[in-house]
Amino acid sequence: MAYTELIKNFERIRDYMRDFYVYGFKSRNEYEKKSARSYDNERRRIESYLGDYMAFRQTQNGKNAFLSIDSRNAVHNPLYKALKSKGFTDGDITLHFILFDILNSPDTALTLNEITHMIDAEYLYCFKNPMIFDESTVRKKLKEYVELGLLSSNKQGKQMVYSRNSSTDLASWNDALEFFSEAGLDGVIGSFLLDKTDSGHEHFSFKHHYITYALESEILCELLKAISEKRIVTIKNYTRKSDNVKIWDVLPLKIFVSVQNGRRYLLGYSFSLHEIKSYRLDFITDVKIGDISPRFGELREKLSEMQEHMWGVYCNKRYVSLEHVEFTVHVGDNEEHIYHRLDREKRCGTVEWIDKHTCRFMADVYDTSEMIPWIRTFICRITTMDFSNRTIENQFKNDIEDMYILYGVGGEE
Amino acid sequence: MLFNEIYGCYYNTVAKILASAVKRNLTADEMKQIICDNAFSESFLTIIPALVNEQWQLLNPELHTPLKHEPTMPLTMLQKRWLKAISLDPHIKLFTVSFDFLDGIEPLFTTGDYVVFDKYNDGDPYEDESYIQNFHLILDAIHTKKKVQIQYESQKGNHRTILCAPYQLEYSEKDDKFRLLISGCRYAYTINVGRIKACEIIDESTVECFIPKQKNPEFFIMELVDQRNALERVMLHLAHFKKEAERISENSYRVKIYYDHDDETELVIRILSFGPFIKVTEPESFVNLIKERLKMQKSCQLK
Repeated sequence: MAYTELIKNFERIRDYMRDFYVYGFKSRNEYEKKSARSYDNERRRIESYLGDYMAFRQTQNGKNAFLSIDSRNAVHNPLYKALKSKGFTDGDITLHFILFDILNSPDTALTLNEITHMIDAEYLYCFKNPMIFDESTVRKKLKEYVELGLLSSNKQGKQMVYSRNSSTDLASWNDALEFFSEAGLDGVIGSFLLDKTDSGHEHFSFKHHYITYALESEILCELLKAISEKRIVTIKNYTRKSDNVKIWDVLPLKIFVSVQNGRRYLLGYSFSLHEIKSYRLDFITDVKIGDISPRFGELREKLSEMQEHMWGVYCNKRYVSLEHVEFTVHVGDNEEHIYHRLDREKRCGTVEWIDKHTCRFMADVYDTSEMIPWIRTFICRITTMDFSNRTIENQFKNDIEDMYILYGVGGEE
Repeated sequence: MLFNEIYGCYYNTVAKILASAVKRNLTADEMKQIICDNAFSESFLTIIPALVNEQWQLLNPELHTPLKHEPTMPLTMLQKRWLKAISLDPHIKLFTVSFDFLDGIEPLFTTGDYVVFDKYNDGDPYEDESYIQNFHLILDAIHTKKKVQIQYESQKGNHRTILCAPYQLEYSEKDDKFRLLISGCRYAYTINVGRIKACEIIDESTVECFIPKQKNPEFFIMELVDQRNALERVMLHLAHFKKEAERISENSYRVKIYYDHDDETELVIRILSFGPFIKVTEPESFVNLIKERLKMQKSCQLK
């Protein structure tokens, strides 16, 4: 098939964009192992959408294409552009603009027959080879727009009449849209709205901003719809390691967002495993919304109780008790900020002074291993550790020993 | 569905072209410019022939359109549901917006439907009236390019008053705090909005928007071994930095990360969080910061 700039399905380009942006070291040959034909087209599309950010490097294994973006300097998420690339037919776009021109005011209410007639008589007549839209095509498009909330349909006598819904002036929303289109959940919807406002301001910038979340926007949107209606979903989920796609029936309960590790999760009840589990949004490739579940309230409540002992997203360890985590850190003179750091980052834990120069952190959690990266950030002042999970404690200490060796600290190298 | 052509850049671009055509003043050059400004870099190859060759029957070869009105489109239900959702967010008080048109709309999500589980718990006080008032005033000053006089408390607890030109508000999702980026003041170039005690617009002054040149970023180079899923964890964790990565052997990688010098301590801490799976190799000054912490840890004699 000939190359087109627009695409029908977001899923394939989603993978490429993520690889180009997050990893950026793969050569063309490595992508071809996955899909021999598509690399050149996908790379060309990404270059067309994000040319300013595209970079290349020649290596022994070939030319690497990657996206080089400092999200702190990009006031609008560049990856949103890919979500504005949906393809359409010649008829779709022609009909779209003509329909809204015919139904140009909420006061204009017309039947399908009247609209179809006007399309021919007032719009297409002036072209050399006018398109032909039969009633069924026009009806289908009107129905689609009613479902999207753009049009209303009302029965008048035996006939359905169509009118456009009122427009809204969002001029006063510019600042809010600029902020929430980046910092809000599914911010791409705000970006769609900004496209209509001609704002162009750069009054906000964002630090610690994971722009890859853009690539999960559609999946997240479907999950949020399901949560708001308490509906079960069927998700397709894969893992990069195995490349296996699994299908799960899940009752989605809550979205867990990380602003430190670049991942977001669905926490939901798995009907096959009979437990609440986490599913990474970037591993979900499809969501089908199903029936309403009467168990939503009960299971959401259960999750809330579990959150009291969740450091991250791990929330279940059947038949095993909670794990106790305790460590102390040295706080020097004029280092009260260390206590404040512990206090503001403690999540479900507690922090206390045990003497003038020592603070103790304690928590009882489902999974100690989730806490390890955070505890390592206190390396240089950890004085004691007491984990009920001794395996993890020993691994932590061994890792520190390995770091001494790695950096030649203490003469071991 | 969210991935829909009605939100796409082709529809938006064509709407702008048709708006100009409705006014009967569209030229070929203008059409190309609109496409360059609003669509993708190769879009003109598709949009121009499709319009002038009557493939999309909206414009004839003379660039006249049968449309009678400039194209407009109401909000979709998804857009309204999203707006309703953000109207429930605590940060919305920072903005002066009206929600009347959202009466009766179901929000796409509520604050109970998600949790940001690792943000710090000492975020800015978004319910505090004086914080909100300061924020509104600063945003107004940025819009109108006015100087402001700000009284604030420094990190060391000292009270200061400065005159400056604010140009941007930077939000950190991890800290859940805003920082005001300012110019024209020799003592500071950022102020935490939460530390501002009072501020006032100096009406007589209008400043040309002066955004200081970006400082040359610092960089460090690290090598990582892909054990215990380290590659994925590191690359995702540091995804928001500008970086260059290359594979140096089957299981190991070299990554160059660019960063702002002010964030160096934070980065040292973040690098330590990955344990022995990454080793910073350059520059020596950064390596020494890590070594220093390891030496201090060794002196703690953790058993």
